[in-house]
Amino acid sequence: MSALVELDRLGKVYSTRTGDVTALSEVTLRIEDGEFVAVVGPSGCGKTTLLKILANLEQHTSGVGILGNNELGANRSDDVGMVFQKATLLPWLDILSNVLLPVTLKRRASAADKENAMDLLRMVGLGEFATKRPHELSGGMQQRAAICRALVHEPSLLLMDEPFGALDAMTRDVLNVEVNRIWRDTHKTAVLITHSIPEAVFLAQRVIVMSPRPGRIVDEITVPFGPERTLELMGTPEFGSLCAQIRRHFEVSAA
Amino acid sequence: MSTTTSTDARTTSATPRTTPRRRRDAGKRRQVVGSLVVLAVLLLAWQFLPTALGTPSYVVPVFSDVLAALTDPAAFPVYLEATVATMTEVLLGLAIGVTLGLVLAITLAQLPTVYGIVFPYIVAIESIPKVAVAPLFVIWFGFGLSSKVVVVVLLAFFPVLVNTLHGLRGVDKDQVDLFRVNGASPMQMRLRLLVPAALPQIFSGLELAVANAMIGAIVAEFVGAQQGLGVLILQAQGRMETPAVFALLIILSALGITLNVLVRLLRRVVVTWEQH
Ligand SMILES: Nc1ncnc2c1ncn2[C@@H]1O[C@H](COP(=O)(O)OP(=O)(O)O)[C@@H](O)[C@H]1O
Ligand SMILES: [Mg+2]
Repeated sequence: MSALVELDRLGKVYSTRTGDVTALSEVTLRIEDGEFVAVVGPSGCGKTTLLKILANLEQHTSGVGILGNNELGANRSDDVGMVFQKATLLPWLDILSNVLLPVTLKRRASAADKENAMDLLRMVGLGEFATKRPHELSGGMQQRAAICRALVHEPSLLLMDEPFGALDAMTRDVLNVEVNRIWRDTHKTAVLITHSIPEAVFLAQRVIVMSPRPGRIVDEITVPFGPERTLELMGTPEFGSLCAQIRRHFEVSAA
Repeated sequence: MSTTTSTDARTTSATPRTTPRRRRDAGKRRQVVGSLVVLAVLLLAWQFLPTALGTPSYVVPVFSDVLAALTDPAAFPVYLEATVATMTEVLLGLAIGVTLGLVLAITLAQLPTVYGIVFPYIVAIESIPKVAVAPLFVIWFGFGLSSKVVVVVLLAFFPVLVNTLHGLRGVDKDQVDLFRVNGASPMQMRLRLLVPAALPQIFSGLELAVANAMIGAIVAEFVGAQQGLGVLILQAQGRMETPAVFALLIILSALGITLNVLVRLLRRVVVTWEQH
């Protein structure tokens, strides 16, 4: 197996008017090609910062990071797909045009591009909504469209920042099953940030646990389940004990 | 899986549409009828109250006199010529002022440092009653078209600038990140994200600009002009022809309302995602 992402003692200090904020400290992490990694940690521990560095939206201030063949921060690679907490669809475009945005920012969308986008929409059950505007869709459907948009240009890395945090529990479960299926179908390398420990264990092959500020990695848990995950898995004792093991980190740090 | 999706879809889009809309339509019809009744009552009062109270016609003429002045065939070419003159000032000034406002706002929004430097001046100028400089512009640009256009430009420019800046700076940070992640150029960022996202505020600015433009043109004509509706009002006032003054005010109101309705219609056509 080859690594898609290699971070070596990566650090990030934000310089603000009120002084320096250390958001990340000595983050060393290797993500294999095709792996699904989840990152959990208390709010403010630098999870979003880590994702933004991987997306080249922020520059790290120490250490080295490599994504694919490029050094992070050196030259920009558009080779990531990003899913935000809000769907972040453009209200003036229909769903199909929203999904095609990563393509149309580079070139005119071909018939093949449109077919590819339609395939993605059909995969998440939105085939009939291609010509609708975002406000005509429910929150869960909007977030599905946002996932299609993050995949349409076939990036090598899919980044998701608490993508289902704003959705109700039921929609969330359904979308988790869908994300698992998409990952199995596309073999995408994925990094999911979440504050839901069960969600992390359900989706990931490996869960990275981060400490409160300054954010650093305090544990890595390998999830022993196979690639296909079903909702029944959540009821098993193995699943419960794995969640409990992760939760213990936060109880200790809170005390 | 697919069953969940389709139930989800049906409940969100299909069912809750028809009934509230029909109820809203009925409510709207009742409002229109109500407005018309109020108009009829006002016109009747205008027709009969001045006589009943013994108010002389040069103070408040009865409605039928105003109507006669408005529809006087001899006055029609005069009104038409004045309307063309005034609307030329208004539309020319609007075109220039709105364009300048938009261009400057888009430029400033992407230069945070420059924005920080000039922002206090924008606020300062914004709070000056700008029509007060009309006499100065007549000195500088003369009694012809240009001095009026310059006043209109000044009055149309600021609401567009301020509202557009507000819209551009309020663009969602995640949307900006989305464009950056996908390698958008500065021009793509401007034309495909910032401007469309700011359209609702741009139209709010445009509505203010249109109202301001009418004020600017008339005040500028009051200060010094050879033609236009403002000039006709001053002439009618000089002759104590109050019905003609009212007739001219009605023409001005109709023009102002028409411009406002046009802008709002355009907004509806362009900003289709806005909830009304
Ligand atoms: N642009 C920024 N400027 C200054 N400080 C920031 C910025 N973004 C994040 N931070 C700070 O860095 C820390 C980590 O933030 P973030 O990565 O958003 O955490 P998380 O996503 O885990 O909640 C927080 O203390 C936050 O206040
Ligand atoms: Mg965050």
